[in-house]
Amino acid sequence: MVQLTPNMPYITLRVKFVKRAELQYISHLDLVRTMHKIIARAGLPLWYTMGFNPKPKMIFAAPLSIGTESECEFVDIRLVDRPPEEEVLRHLNANMTENMRAVAAYYPETKLTDLKWLRYRIAVKTEGASEALAAACAEYLLGDEVLVKKKSRDKRSEEQPSVNIRSGIREIIAGFDGECIILDAVLSADASAFLNPEYVVSALRGALGILSSGNLLAEYYSVLRTEAYREDMTPFD
Amino acid sequence: MEQKNISSVLKSVEKPGRYIGGEYNRIIKDKDSVSCRFAFCFPDTYEIGMSNLGVRILYDVLNRAEGVWCERVYAPWEDMKGKMEEYSIPLTALESTDELSKFDLVAFSLQYEMCYTTVLSMLRLAGLPIWAGERGEDCPIIIGGGPCVYNPEPIADFFDLINIGEGEEVLPEICALYQEMKGDGSYTREGFLRRAASIEGVYIPSLYEVSYNPDGTIREYSPRYSDIPRKIKKRIIKNLDEAPYPEKLVMPYIETVHDRIVLEVYRGCIRGCRFCQAGMVYRPIREKSPEVLCRNAKCLYENSGYDEISLISLSISDYSRLPELTDGLLSWTDDARVSLSLPSLRIDSFSEELMRKVSSVRTGGITFAPEAGTQRLRDVINKNVSEEDLLRSVGIAFRGGKSNVKLYFMNGLPTETDEDIAGIAALAKRVVHEYYTMPKEERPRGVGVTVSVSCFVPKPFTPFQWERQDSLESLERKQELLKGFINDKKIKYSYHDARVSCIEALLARGDRRLAPAIALMAEEGAMLEAWDEYFDYEKWLSALERTGVDMDFYTTRGFSTDEVLPWDIIDIGVTKQFLLRERERAYEEKTTPSCMEKCSGCGANKLGGNTRWCN
Ligand code: SF4
Repeated sequence: MVQLTPNMPYITLRVKFVKRAELQYISHLDLVRTMHKIIARAGLPLWYTMGFNPKPKMIFAAPLSIGTESECEFVDIRLVDRPPEEEVLRHLNANMTENMRAVAAYYPETKLTDLKWLRYRIAVKTEGASEALAAACAEYLLGDEVLVKKKSRDKRSEEQPSVNIRSGIREIIAGFDGECIILDAVLSADASAFLNPEYVVSALRGALGILSSGNLLAEYYSVLRTEAYREDMTPFD
Repeated sequence: MEQKNISSVLKSVEKPGRYIGGEYNRIIKDKDSVSCRFAFCFPDTYEIGMSNLGVRILYDVLNRAEGVWCERVYAPWEDMKGKMEEYSIPLTALESTDELSKFDLVAFSLQYEMCYTTVLSMLRLAGLPIWAGERGEDCPIIIGGGPCVYNPEPIADFFDLINIGEGEEVLPEICALYQEMKGDGSYTREGFLRRAASIEGVYIPSLYEVSYNPDGTIREYSPRYSDIPRKIKKRIIKNLDEAPYPEKLVMPYIETVHDRIVLEVYRGCIRGCRFCQAGMVYRPIREKSPEVLCRNAKCLYENSGYDEISLISLSISDYSRLPELTDGLLSWTDDARVSLSLPSLRIDSFSEELMRKVSSVRTGGITFAPEAGTQRLRDVINKNVSEEDLLRSVGIAFRGGKSNVKLYFMNGLPTETDEDIAGIAALAKRVVHEYYTMPKEERPRGVGVTVSVSCFVPKPFTPFQWERQDSLESLERKQELLKGFINDKKIKYSYHDARVSCIEALLARGDRRLAPAIALMAEEGAMLEAWDEYFDYEKWLSALERTGVDMDFYTTRGFSTDEVLPWDIIDIGVTKQFLLRERERAYEEKTTPSCMEKCSGCGANKLGGNTRWCN
């Protein structure tokens, strides 16, 4: 019945993939379920957990929240063998969809926890968007205090205390492309200090009153994760 | 630039993953090179609709048809519906994101009566007229099908065409006729419907006139033309082994209700419970062979990556070749770490061996459906299950490590007395007691028995189709009564909202005169009423009153055996004589053997088909 794979040593495969367009609306949990089926279909030599209900083992780096696209997602998958990287990549992509593609598959030297910083491109279409408003955004985000009210799990408490998220912001470059304010932001990805880019948007909403008309067709924003770094800002892979 | 589509509002709705499509294995075709665009609509949420086997099968069948592109459409949740109305965003299909008005044929699968208002709300969101009579030449043909349309009458005026019976062959034939008439330029809406009426299993409501007697009962159905069938014969697939079965499944990104491989082992049911509509309308019983089923399973596994296979059918343990099937599957599923599950098990055949093979029984909870609390009433409804059967099966489950059991019952069955209700509580108690007959060291946990009680709805095409439904007051009294009888903390009691059952009976037993009330409900925002939070009884009462419908006429009135029933226009194969015979036997408290033991001559054999038991 259950094979004795738990006692087998495992090899860690890392897959770097993109998750874009409508797939930004898939939650992390759903992504995990989807990835399980992809690796099953791809026929990878999976390592299974012990017990009654053996499952493959996957670990994702810095889970994305709903509403964020990404060009640099990472997942580590345990295998019992070491198939050639190009072959793995081909099989994975044959089982993915156009908005979720594997861009690399390899046997990594780093740990997922070495990933410390993430770069995002945040585009904001809002009333009064301009060079000046973009500059104001950057100035605020690089000031001493960037305050947000974090979502509380307790729905009854009406006033949440504000939190200063400034320490999670490493870099901000703001511009205006004629329609949207474009923020190029490097934010903390450290497990203990992870900064969700949504909070950057809500800080601006609170401080500068952007995105406040409530008209979803006229005002909106998008977030794209573009690059991952180690502590010293060298690329993570 | 303002974009008016679903994606503009996805950031502000719950579970946006419902609306995005783009799944692995979904089918994309070039819209300019297909000649028939088919929208398959499911009037409930994505999570529910994606799990429906009928939709999975028909999506596959239609996309195999030459020149046909079938896409999926689901109902938006309340919050999304609000955004669509606020920003004038039309309802669209998942694959192409085109609005429904761009399609040639738009079909709805009707699985339960409480979805009727959702169908109309979806048509409204799509900007299509809800009344068949108001649709112009360019409007898509609106098709209905599924288990509810065995009495199509309450919703007949909303549909251009209704598919009676199984759709695997009929729907492609309808598409082919449409393609032919569009191709040679002979298509007109009316001409198409006239010709479609002669396809077996197709009902065109507008081609029939209904007249009524002074007492409100139906006088007759008269076809408007002499070449139109007087009765619509249900269509069946004669040989399931030869019928197409999906090789690939559209893989949802978000979690759906039955997120697994589903194998349909056979159609029909050999049992003949007298309250059960499915047991009658899916006759005759047609089995698939284990060889074909094993092939289907392997193929679906390879194309999906699912780690669970569920064997479904009305009563899986009645499958005559179950051991061959389970052994065939287990020969590879364990190695592939795929588990088998069964959604339904009959009490009398629940065996240790089956329990060992099937992991859902191994890990999940376990349910039994005695349906009634006393042997007398179980005989009336022809539920051939004894108390000993139940206790033995429960005992097997307990010794197999289970400690939670759910028991399903019904209130309001014909001839029910308070004694039968007391019997429910007594039976549950004996199940609890059964647990304590095991030695102490074999019962590490406390036992939990859940008694779940629904209300009987006299359904068309059952031996109880003429029965009156118990009144709301009486049903609610019985629910309270049972509450009083259950005085054991280990027994949990839950019951259905009796008001929902009353509306279900109304819609199940109604005729064309209900349509204005259903339309009014939809106009006033009713939708997703199968969800408790959106069911509004008072609103129904008001809509019925304003459209002049006397609910009691359809629910608490017993129908006379010589009156014309709204569903007499349909021929399901099973004869009225058989149903009447069964009704008599019910009153005599006599059971009828299953088809496996002895054919009772129900009449379904005349439909033909590769059947095992029929004479
Ligand atoms: S014809 Fe006989 S065996 Fe066939 S379904 Fe009817 S009762 Fe059962």
